[in-house]
Amino acid sequence: MELQGQNGLLATFREPWRTRGGVAYAVAGALIGFYTLLYFRDHLGVAGGALDPEAWAAALGLRSRWLLYGALYSLAMIGGAAYYLRRHGNARYNRWRIGVNVGVQVVLAFTLPLVMPYFFTGDPGQFWKYEYYFSYFWPLDWYKLHPGSLQNVPVVFAIYSIVGALVAAPLLAYFYGKRWYCSWVCGCGGLANTFGDPWRHLTSTSTRSWRFEKRAVHTIMFLAIASTLLLFLDHLVGDRNATFHRLIDGGQWWSMKSLYGYVVGAILAGVIGTGLYPLLGPRVWCRNFCPMAALLGLFQKLGRFRITVKPDMCISCGNCTTYCEMGIDVRSYAQSNESFTRAACVGCGMCAHVCPRGVLKLENAPKLQADKKRTGLPVVNL
Amino acid sequence: MRVVIIGNGVAGIEAALALRAREPAWSITIVSEESDHFFSRTALMWVLSGQLSHRCIEPHERDLYARMRFERVRARALGVDAALRQIRLAGRPPLDFDQLLIACGSRPRPGPWPGAELDGVGAFVSLQDLEWLEAELHGGPSRGGRPPNPDAHVALAPADSPYRPRTSLRARRGGPPRHPVVIGGGLIGIEAVEVMLAAGLRPRFYVREDSFWPVALDAREAAVVTEALRAHGADVRLGEHVEALVDDGQGAVGAVRSDAGEEPCDLCVVAIGVEPNTGWLVGSGVSLDARGGVVTSERLETSVEGIYAAGDCAAVRWFDGTTRPEPLWYTARAQGRVAARAMLGDSVRYDRGPWFNSAKLMDLEYTTAGLVNQHMEGEHNWFFEERREAGGALRSTLRVVLAGERVVGFNALGRRWNHAVWVRWIEERRPLGWVLDHLAEAAFDTELVPPLVIPREARERAPERPATRSNEAPVAAPRY
Ligand SMILES: Cc1cc2nc3c(=O)[nH]c(=O)nc-3n(C[C@H](O)[C@H](O)[C@H](O)COP(=O)(O)OP(=O)(O)OC[C@H]3O[C@@H](n4cnc5c(N)ncnc54)[C@H](O)[C@@H]3O)c2cc1C
Ligand code: SF4
Ligand code: SF4
Repeated sequence: MELQGQNGLLATFREPWRTRGGVAYAVAGALIGFYTLLYFRDHLGVAGGALDPEAWAAALGLRSRWLLYGALYSLAMIGGAAYYLRRHGNARYNRWRIGVNVGVQVVLAFTLPLVMPYFFTGDPGQFWKYEYYFSYFWPLDWYKLHPGSLQNVPVVFAIYSIVGALVAAPLLAYFYGKRWYCSWVCGCGGLANTFGDPWRHLTSTSTRSWRFEKRAVHTIMFLAIASTLLLFLDHLVGDRNATFHRLIDGGQWWSMKSLYGYVVGAILAGVIGTGLYPLLGPRVWCRNFCPMAALLGLFQKLGRFRITVKPDMCISCGNCTTYCEMGIDVRSYAQSNESFTRAACVGCGMCAHVCPRGVLKLENAPKLQADKKRTGLPVVNL
Repeated sequence: MRVVIIGNGVAGIEAALALRAREPAWSITIVSEESDHFFSRTALMWVLSGQLSHRCIEPHERDLYARMRFERVRARALGVDAALRQIRLAGRPPLDFDQLLIACGSRPRPGPWPGAELDGVGAFVSLQDLEWLEAELHGGPSRGGRPPNPDAHVALAPADSPYRPRTSLRARRGGPPRHPVVIGGGLIGIEAVEVMLAAGLRPRFYVREDSFWPVALDAREAAVVTEALRAHGADVRLGEHVEALVDDGQGAVGAVRSDAGEEPCDLCVVAIGVEPNTGWLVGSGVSLDARGGVVTSERLETSVEGIYAAGDCAAVRWFDGTTRPEPLWYTARAQGRVAARAMLGDSVRYDRGPWFNSAKLMDLEYTTAGLVNQHMEGEHNWFFEERREAGGALRSTLRVVLAGERVVGFNALGRRWNHAVWVRWIEERRPLGWVLDHLAEAAFDTELVPPLVIPREARERAPERPATRSNEAPVAAPRY
């Protein structure tokens, strides 16, 4: 039989490394250490030593530690994908989704940035212009829409950056949900769904965590947009207003641009976002802090994507809620016969996959199915 | 208004929530012997395997009772005094009520064979059963831990309570069972088998009937399930009648004797069905039917005014007009809501509508609607086996049941279907051709799964008379 649902039982809660046992803490410690070295190398005084990621990259013949990071990232995704597919690869949606996501990472987010500079320029000083990551868009890759970047990269890249972020991404999210990006393309989502998959059940589903998520993620979204606008303003008036320029883009650690980079890019996305996979689940960053997820979530909410619930069939078992990596209490909708669209949902499809009663279906349909009205057993008022 | 609800299961909690939604001031007390928190009984198997933790199978956050101001009493109810309007409790003073809801669920039907009370023999229905099997199969609870307050009821639980803990033989045996047995070819039985297989054991599975789950599956469908069970390593014994459970000399089960002989057994899960958990109501003045179900009116009121019943313990009217308990999750939930509305004074009627259900039989998804194994007058079946390629591996099965020209039932394995659409077609009295033309509207497969394609010759095949299974008198075609 071709199986589309969860195939066999999982032993998740009997495995210490997946349920905050000692190994989980050790892995978290190692990840946090690695990200701290990677992002704060210049501040830790490790340059030139055995702990210098630049030295590791050089030893491997890679131009910078970021390419080394890209290589490790791709390897982690490939290994994680093997783990994921062994468990959930019986369903086509899962196979296609993970396959595409890993492919995008390896080709668009590693190979092309690695080789493009050699094709387009011989000057190492110009390499950075061609180290272009096609799979990342503003506001996740916040630098892509900076006036400085737009001016300096080749014009095709600049157009791609603008159209991708402001037109294509929102439109696709409207028609297909934010999953087109968060679960099929994005590297952060890709790592979460492969390397991070063993820990997906650790995402908190409490109401408190939902409240925190809504506040945090929309705050960061606001900051991402506002700071980008300020950079444009600085671009226009900065040379006439030295204090403003120093505050916004002066190069000191406390200028807005550096602060955003450290706090959002390095600490929230890297150190915490990935470092805490084994303790808080793999979508800490995506769920609580990613400005792109927040923005696409708004379009998703307005758009066509939804999870359709088959009436009265839910047995409230909790498999969907437990294995939702975004901490959405899917069961609460399923048991009330409510088809739903949540801004946070990344459309990973796992809730539908693990549901033992086939209650849930991800869909991008323009209008609600006719039988959606048929909710609950008929109770006849006399 | 003082409302007391006996039972913290789905029927009880749904009723309590529905009452609170309309009556913020009523005093609502929930009495439960089994647990402090409402949990999904349907999900016990995943806690046993380790796929879910105890907290995962609680559908509400644990502060629900405080938020909703539900008083909780963890005790066994011993009887109702209908005249004094009191509930007697084990080890506690009685509780007064103005209105009472009995939602005390069902208990496992005990094995009718000698030896059914031996150590190492039990059921898989309650939290306590779960805890026993966790100890037997895995040596203890998963890292998700035990439910909160697991033993609060133990000291006062009378011997006949279905929620009494059972002792594990694992220590005496020195490890997990070597010859685990499951008796009873129904849904709980197959769940127990699946969990044992997942724990690395090879259970022996006694099914009295000649094919698996004959109330729901026909012989061809049952064969598919049996094959899946065997492929996963279960030793399925079809048509074998258990005669006795044999003492190992130390008061524990040592073997199972059936009409095919005696074979070793050191753990036995009996899953031969459930019965209303209403022994404690005998003699209280609340009428019970022959099966022990609480007799209810259309508005789920019992024979005593102001006392209602809902869920597994209530005998309700079925779609076929008979009255009996209906041990199902969605009906228990619906009955809880209807009973609450009746208690609030609304004119309501519990109307069950056509039958539907779904299940997962090992890896096979099963969906059904309407009448499928009723042996009806003028019944014909249109059956289709979808194969990957001609003569290749089976991909799914679909059976459409007809009474005369009209479609009255659907049974499907291996694909997901929206039963609500099927139910509508049954109510619209659609003919087979129309249904086959519109099947795609009921498809509920996950994305990217290729749709079911029915070749022309299969589509035009005349439906067959079902193989007569028994000499039961045929039932009339449904009226709805
Ligand atoms: C393993 C298993 C799998 C199942 N799977 C499915 C499925 O897939 N689909 C489906 O539709 N149904 C399934 N069922 C059936 C479903 O679980 C029941 O129909 C449902 O739980 C009934 O709910 P209820 O509220 O009526 O009673 P219960 O859930 O049985 O709750 C009974 C409550 O009453 C309390 N109680 C009982 N007696 C007393 C007393 N004397 N004093 C105090 N308190 C008392 C208990 O503490 C408990 O809180 C399954 C059942 C089992 C055991
Ligand atoms: S709701 Fe379902 S599809 Fe959406 S993120 Fe959660 S598990 Fe994935
Ligand atoms: S939707 Fe499915 S997985 Fe979720 S609680 Fe209901 S039956 Fe379980």
